Amino acid sequence: MNAVGFAWRSLVRQPARGALGVLGVAAVGALLFDMLMLSNGFVLSLHDLLDRYGWDIRVVAGDLPLEGPRLRHASDTAEAIANLPQVRAALLVRIAEARIDRASGPPLTAQLVGIDVRSAPGRVIGTSPPWTILSGRDVANANEVVVNTAVASAAHIAPGATITLRALCVAEREALPPTTLRVAGIAEFPFTAFDEHAVGTTLAALKAACSGNVEDDVDLLLVTSTGDADGAAAAIRAARPGVNAMTNDEVVGRFQQAGFSYFQQISTVLTAVTVSFAVLLITVLLTVSVNQRLGEIAALRALGFSRWRVVKDVLSESALIVGTGGLLSLPLGWLLATGLDEILKAMPGVPAQLHFFVFAREALAVHLALLALTALVAAAYPMRIVSRLPIAATLRDEVIG
Amino acid sequence: MIVDAQNVSRVFSMRAGPVVAVRDVTLQISEGDHIAIRGPSGCGKSTLLHMLGCVDAPTSGSLLFAGQDISRLSDAKRSLLRLKQIGFVFQRFFLLPMLTARENVELPLSEAGAGKTERRTRANELLEYVGLSTRADHRPSQLSGGEMQRVAIARALANKPRLLLADEPTGELDVATGEQIAMLLDRVNGDGTALVIVTHDQALAGRARRLLMMRDGALEHEGTA
Repeated sequence: MNAVGFAWRSLVRQPARGALGVLGVAAVGALLFDMLMLSNGFVLSLHDLLDRYGWDIRVVAGDLPLEGPRLRHASDTAEAIANLPQVRAALLVRIAEARIDRASGPPLTAQLVGIDVRSAPGRVIGTSPPWTILSGRDVANANEVVVNTAVASAAHIAPGATITLRALCVAEREALPPTTLRVAGIAEFPFTAFDEHAVGTTLAALKAACSGNVEDDVDLLLVTSTGDADGAAAAIRAARPGVNAMTNDEVVGRFQQAGFSYFQQISTVLTAVTVSFAVLLITVLLTVSVNQRLGEIAALRALGFSRWRVVKDVLSESALIVGTGGLLSLPLGWLLATGLDEILKAMPGVPAQLHFFVFAREALAVHLALLALTALVAAAYPMRIVSRLPIAATLRDEVIG
Repeated sequence: MIVDAQNVSRVFSMRAGPVVAVRDVTLQISEGDHIAIRGPSGCGKSTLLHMLGCVDAPTSGSLLFAGQDISRLSDAKRSLLRLKQIGFVFQRFFLLPMLTARENVELPLSEAGAGKTERRTRANELLEYVGLSTRADHRPSQLSGGEMQRVAIARALANKPRLLLADEPTGELDVATGEQIAMLLDRVNGDGTALVIVTHDQALAGRARRLLMMRDGALEHEGTA
């Protein structure tokens, strides 16, 4: 019988002890897995959202997230950027507020997003709007919109229906005439919260809804490079020194600097605490088990079992407890992360598509490495006990005892 | 000769001062010997047995096992020597409760690197030898004291040792069961394994060909039973 088989028999010899160890590691391991997913989850998710539609550079007049003045002379700027050799296309994005009339109930307040794409003549565009069509189709002309599910649900509308909205484009109290637009599809807007209402359309439709009160300015330009985002961003900055061009990596870096590194700090502290709990739990269980079996271990040593063999038995027992608990911790941690993610995403203003707990292979690798280290460290003290066990004295003590 | 002990002593360092457990013992054990060691409690019988079995080393004197000075052997080499050449039988059996009788007997074979078939065959032979072939799949908790000691003897014989050491092998058994174990040990010795028994049991000691009497750590005299 090898050390693993022997350890397994030792473990099932006291099922309650074995179950306690495995369940303890499963619970602690689940928390550990969640902490590791939380550590970089927000950053990974944000990067995924920024990358989702292929736009790898954001150009604004102020800073991100959208602060400061709008980008003026937007058409010229977009044309100039789109004509750079490092750039494939540029998308003008203008955001306004809109009130959507409903058959019953007060009007809905929604974010109205108008877009227009620019590219150099002859360049293959192949770009996507900054939303995902869930049903119906995308806007095809200036009297069509797509709405998100929150609008569709609240206004009881489906693709093919019409909506009447009043845009608020430059001031809170302006009184603009209503505009009736046809709903081409239901779309998902990645940066809106669960309960936020959003409407997407062409920039021309937005300007029409604003009755010409909109100047040639936009909130941001989304740019897609020909492959080298850093080079393209540098070219944009050189061509238009007054604008702030940031790659998606730089945007994520900005968010991290702005306080989202707290997640990493919190998860590092909690990871250390959970690993310490696991180590203590397994050390106590193994030490108690070894102390109960000192006579048997001394007898095995007298019968010729090597020091390394009895040490290996203890290490294998630790590895079995941590390994089994660690395997259970993965689905448990996943379930826990899903629940916690839902709770965090319910916070006001958090984009519905943003996740705080994101699975990454690196997180799994660190999780497994930490569990392996836990098995080793937790077994260190009981291994020391058996390796230094005085055979003759223990046998004598067992008889006297 | 299996064991050649010359002026062997074992001193334990205690807080109250050194305690001499074995004092200046000279003893030879040859192939096929049948030796009983008797003496009052605390006279050093078990300590001497542990040194003869290479689980403890003398603090002075020389102890050769099969010509090898055990004080010069590493822990790993001493373990290997015990595994291959020495068998131990304990008063409290020390069978592993989570293993069956057969698996307990297979343990030293497994440690010695025997294959599965070889282990199974040898364990079955030994259980047959000690009269427990029908209890091979029983766990120690399902066996009587005498049966457990017979399994322990089978385990001690697994790797065909030259020397079998038994520390109070009938100490936990009633008289009738002790007699059965004594007969089994006689048979083991008769089949060629040298046997050294530490015992308070006069009847068990009386079966040995050499009887060593110990007092205060020293061999008082050697005689025939």
